[in-house]
Amino acid sequence: MMRFEFDQIIRYGPELLEAFWVTLWISAVSLLIGIVLGLFACLGKLSRQGLAYRVSSGFIDFFRTIPEVVLIFWVYSCLPLLLSVRITSEVCGIIALSLFSGAYLAEIFRAGVLAVPRGQVDAAYALAIPRLNIWSRIIIPPAIRRMMPASINFLTELLKATSLLSAISVGEMAYRASVLGAKTLSYFEFLSAIAVLYFLLIFPFSLWARRAEKKLLEKTGN
Amino acid sequence: MNSKIAKFSFPLVLISLLGILAYFLNWELLLSLDFSVVWEYRLVLFKGLMMTLGLTLWASVMGLLLGTILAVASQSPVAAIRWLVIAFVEIWRNTPLLVQLIWIHYALPLVTGINTTAVESGVLAITLQAAAYFTEIVRAGIESVPKGQWEAAYSLALPSRITWTRIILPPAVRTMIPPLVNLTISFFKGTAILSILHISELMTVTNRISNVTFKPIELFSAIAIVYFIVGYVMSKATLRVEYILQRRER
Repeated sequence: MMRFEFDQIIRYGPELLEAFWVTLWISAVSLLIGIVLGLFACLGKLSRQGLAYRVSSGFIDFFRTIPEVVLIFWVYSCLPLLLSVRITSEVCGIIALSLFSGAYLAEIFRAGVLAVPRGQVDAAYALAIPRLNIWSRIIIPPAIRRMMPASINFLTELLKATSLLSAISVGEMAYRASVLGAKTLSYFEFLSAIAVLYFLLIFPFSLWARRAEKKLLEKTGN
Repeated sequence: MNSKIAKFSFPLVLISLLGILAYFLNWELLLSLDFSVVWEYRLVLFKGLMMTLGLTLWASVMGLLLGTILAVASQSPVAAIRWLVIAFVEIWRNTPLLVQLIWIHYALPLVTGINTTAVESGVLAITLQAAAYFTEIVRAGIESVPKGQWEAAYSLALPSRITWTRIILPPAVRTMIPPLVNLTISFFKGTAILSILHISELMTVTNRISNVTFKPIELFSAIAIVYFIVGYVMSKATLRVEYILQRRER
């Protein structure tokens, strides 16, 4: 029977904590870039026709369908060659996760906008409200409320996806734990520690998403 | 007037973006790309794809089986069983598959003393995760069955096995099909994660070939397209199934 060597975790605690921050900031940056990409792709797809529509739906379909690992490896091993530049693995990870987030968020945003009752938009047109104001006052506020649960759920997916960056040796939690495990041979301690950390990080968001969904159901009643 | 600007602004933006990209691209490399390597290794890649699809099928079937059992258990009158199911589901849903994978492969044998091969660890991890996700969906499906149905079955004194197999599960399954197919697609994507343990599915195979031939661009681009085509066909099929189900309900 093995002994759980808790002092190993305490000794390397600062390193794990640092890795935790790496996970957090990479998720945050990817999420921000993803939101911007998602907004453009969402608008493009909402235009329903023409070049913008085709480009955005192609973008959304492609990056939603291919596995995240494949995307990460592609960016890591092909992009620097194609552009003949040096890109650090963190930046590669951020590029890949931003594309992934952009595609998913675009669909979430679009679903939110489409869920706004058509009658409200028609009413706004009938009142000759300027187009910009229709978006900022009539469509976007309820759309944001409707897209909140799905967006928070997506955030949990994104946090989980950052662990995949360990495959391209970005020093986030999963990578650091494997390295420390190999160094000290205390695999069990470190891998369990990061599993707990991931759970503590992700679970609150899952609960939040569930609550937001429940609230939305009560409010919209469908 | 506004729409005219919108109409011309998008192609302009696109063209300028493409222009910037074209400027930075390494054309020499791009023109020397040789996709024949993909054709050369087609049989190995095909085997990898079959492994990927086999794992997907396994994860879905086993996940559905275990998920249904757990979902039924989650309705158990014994609180301890309900809590155990909830804990299992939440733990597996709220940690990354990659962490589960390396935990099962590297940490678990230290406790149990049983060494698992990479394939066994991979299959175990994806099966357990599938079970957790499927439990949630089956449970939502079961809970979508109106309470009156339960009460009717109870007042007719139907045995619990018949209540489940004849009254509760059939309508529950119908509402579950679209999310189930979606999950299958996400496990298809998830199998690529198993490549970190080098079990010979498509991603691992590609990595190996790329290490031998030094042609990462051709290989990774090609399999990205393969993954896309397979996943796209699956998701279009889902839409089709949803459409058929909706029509039948009317």
